[in-house]
Amino acid sequence: MALSFSNFLFLHLLFIAVAHCAIKTYNFDVSWVSANPDELLERSVIGINGQWPIPTINVTKGDQVVVHVKNSLGNESTSLHFHGLYQNGTTHMDGPAQVTQCAIIPGGTFTYNFTVDQPGTYWYHSHVRGQYPDGLRGAFVVHDPEDPHKDLYDEEIVLTLSDWYHEHMPDLLASFINIANPSGAEPVPQSALVNETQNLTVRIEPGKRYKFRIINMGAFAAQYVWFEDHTMQIVEVDGIYTKPTDAEMIYVTVAQRWSVIVTAKNNSDANFAFVGSMDQDLFDTVPDGLNPNVTGWLVYDDAKEKPAPKEVESFEPFDDFDLAPYDQESLYEHVDYQIQLDMKMDNLDDGANYAFFNDQTYVAPKVPTLYTALSTGPNATNPLIYGSHTNQFVLAHNQVVELILNNDDPGKHPFHLHGHAFQLVHRSPDDAGFYDATTAPALPATPMRRDTVLVRPNGNLVLRFRSDNPGVWLFHCHIEWHVASGLIATIIEAPLEMQKQLAGKIPEDHVEACSAAGVPMEGNAAGNTVDVLDLKGEVSFAGPLPEGFTARGVVALVFSCVAAFVGMAVVAWYGMAPVKAKSG
Amino acid sequence: MVNVFAVPVFFICFRECLECSIIVSVLLAFLKQTLGPEHDEAIRKKFVRQIWLGTALGLLFCLIIAAGIIGTFYTAGRNAFESAEYIYEGVFALVAAVIISVMGAALLRISKLQDKWRRKIAVSLERKDRVAFGKGKVKLWCEKYAMFMLPLVTVLREGIEMVLFIAGVGLGLPASSFPLAVVCGLGAGVLVGYLIYAGGNKTSLQIFLVASTCFLYLVAAGLFSKGVWDLEMNAWRKLAGEGAVEAGAGPGSYDIRKSVWHVNCCSPGSGGDGGWGIFNSLFGWQNSATYGSVISYNLYWLVVIVGFLVTGFRERNGRYPLQKAQSAAEADAESDRSGGALGAKGGETAARTAVREVGE
Repeated sequence: MALSFSNFLFLHLLFIAVAHCAIKTYNFDVSWVSANPDELLERSVIGINGQWPIPTINVTKGDQVVVHVKNSLGNESTSLHFHGLYQNGTTHMDGPAQVTQCAIIPGGTFTYNFTVDQPGTYWYHSHVRGQYPDGLRGAFVVHDPEDPHKDLYDEEIVLTLSDWYHEHMPDLLASFINIANPSGAEPVPQSALVNETQNLTVRIEPGKRYKFRIINMGAFAAQYVWFEDHTMQIVEVDGIYTKPTDAEMIYVTVAQRWSVIVTAKNNSDANFAFVGSMDQDLFDTVPDGLNPNVTGWLVYDDAKEKPAPKEVESFEPFDDFDLAPYDQESLYEHVDYQIQLDMKMDNLDDGANYAFFNDQTYVAPKVPTLYTALSTGPNATNPLIYGSHTNQFVLAHNQVVELILNNDDPGKHPFHLHGHAFQLVHRSPDDAGFYDATTAPALPATPMRRDTVLVRPNGNLVLRFRSDNPGVWLFHCHIEWHVASGLIATIIEAPLEMQKQLAGKIPEDHVEACSAAGVPMEGNAAGNTVDVLDLKGEVSFAGPLPEGFTARGVVALVFSCVAAFVGMAVVAWYGMAPVKAKSG
Repeated sequence: MVNVFAVPVFFICFRECLECSIIVSVLLAFLKQTLGPEHDEAIRKKFVRQIWLGTALGLLFCLIIAAGIIGTFYTAGRNAFESAEYIYEGVFALVAAVIISVMGAALLRISKLQDKWRRKIAVSLERKDRVAFGKGKVKLWCEKYAMFMLPLVTVLREGIEMVLFIAGVGLGLPASSFPLAVVCGLGAGVLVGYLIYAGGNKTSLQIFLVASTCFLYLVAAGLFSKGVWDLEMNAWRKLAGEGAVEAGAGPGSYDIRKSVWHVNCCSPGSGGDGGWGIFNSLFGWQNSATYGSVISYNLYWLVVIVGFLVTGFRERNGRYPLQKAQSAAEADAESDRSGGALGAKGGETAARTAVREVGE
């Protein structure tokens, strides 16, 4: 494996680049290519510049990144989201279609241009309905010349975890959100992958210390990760440096990143397996023959055998709640604004299963929310204009916001907030029900921060962040199935400041993308520009299931009763008739 | 309650037992008539003994066969049905609804049964009187012991019929729901048979028959509707798979496209809501009604109403509605051939005579 060598080279280049912040330009031609990563099925996947896996973006803190995207897919629109980047001042570069931009239609082009002012491990992926699991997902690493942990490791290696489906997402989504799947059972992946392949070998030199940047780029499955006979030292989660903390096994939900330092043994006597094991609790039914594991090896000596991984007795992963941020940022006290989101899964009157925040499933508005905020002047602070299906919250600038998430569902969900890393100030165990501040334990003094966090089955969690980043940011479950079934809230943060920041700065290709896609760019969620408080004409969607007896049910029941009584009357008339005939 | 009393089973037992007891009662009445006090007491006693012996033996054979069939069914056959449970339950519910409807109509003309058997017995006894030469020994023996053979064969035939019906109708029911229903059905059949034999207040007997038939039709309407519902449910389970099973009585347990009403409770199927199970077997209640189940329920009643109106009209006027009055005789003859509506065989004259006989 050439990984270590190229990384080594890169570290040198990195120090050269530190002096002046560079402009890193990428030309990405997004198109279908063919691949067979699990050696079970050759299928078409979404690649970049004719290649898949797609390239890792390596930049240095402070760099300006310019990505020219051309959509050559032919049959699908696309967009790119740079997961975990705050995009402070560039919310229009965040990437979710119908939120901060219009999707790039086939043949279209679009340029992402932003400055990265945060170190750490990130990734980039399509943010068009359920698309990235078809391949459009890659690592995005921001190197830090001032890494506080730089003395703790000698080299770094990126490990991406993912789950792999043999069918294409549009087909899977069509059968997932379908009357024939009333329980909303998510499609189960066919394989687990590491660096989009299996049986990966990583060359290790005895005595050296390696920083593994572990990224779960999967659609659905969280993975337990461990290195046999090696302890991990956690130093970063989702771009936030942590106090170095030892762990034997970590639980990496989709969209999470963990940097761990693994110190190599001092001899080359054996090679060691490392394993990513998909959390099968997530799967409704585990298909026969599914191999939930993907294995790689720390290879000290090519000549020695690569041992099969040993069975583990139980999964006991490290709890990231116990981490402390390296900067020791203290708890945000004095909450100014509170958001409560109660999530559940339920069926609508089209028979399909959807996901809900506060009884509302997310449906994208006609006008991308950012453009609504930018085109409605002072009305932008009125949540009403963002529509009836967007679960919107409008935040004032520079406030401490508390977000309470109550999981009224027996599943595990990894929640991600765009534009921020947040403090995780409380997380309940399983089945704790809704959050109750009066009975909750004391909040930690220096809470762990990250941008993607697991909420436990029927549990709750509480996040806090400062609304210091004007923009339109989604808060959503990062299980791609649940994104499609509507588990999304929209946070419109400091819209008036955003208007000032972005006045006249929306690039022309935004306008072109929208006009090419036929999407309006002005007005409220319904596209009304005159009276923005009038939502007439906004997207309509399946309604709730009828409750019990509707008019139709009552009519049917009354009709049936009448039929029964008339019927019995006729039976009596017939049955009694001969007796009457006799007497008469 | 649904676990201890299977309504359709009760009615099947009731009906089959009633037919048996009518035969026995007709035979006993016949003996009373023909072998009156002027005849030898010993001969009469001998015949009475033959009748009861035949009945008892018939019953015994029935029980053995029933135990065999039901035993086999519950040990071996049940699993085979399980996977396609809804299809079988649905089809059997439909069949049971038709059977109950037909036997209900016959019940209203119970006296005709009496008439039928009286004629049959008369014929067989007539033959006995004119003993012919050259007949086989077996036949001779049979004719000699007609008073024994008739009840034996009848009980056997009705009994096996009953067992087959029960095995069919009761497919989806727990075994524990059978004994009480069977005992009650048999008891009620014997009781009504005795009432017919003993005479008594014919009007109240008629009222009893009408009331029980009304009840019977309620059950049949429910069964018919449930049959259609089961078939639809089978299609839904096939489409939605595990998800539909998981959903219990909640969203996803039914096909919203076909739903007329749905309440997330009061399901007749699940264990907890016992009362709704009775409601289901009596009136075909569903917590999740479909267009199919509602329409079939109403359609059933429509057919019953029209059927009885037509039959009743014909019994009164000797012709079908919309038919010319003069062709009544032809229509009568035709109906004898075709069997008449709803199994109410025979013309109005027969029915009236029969009822009058009951009344006498």
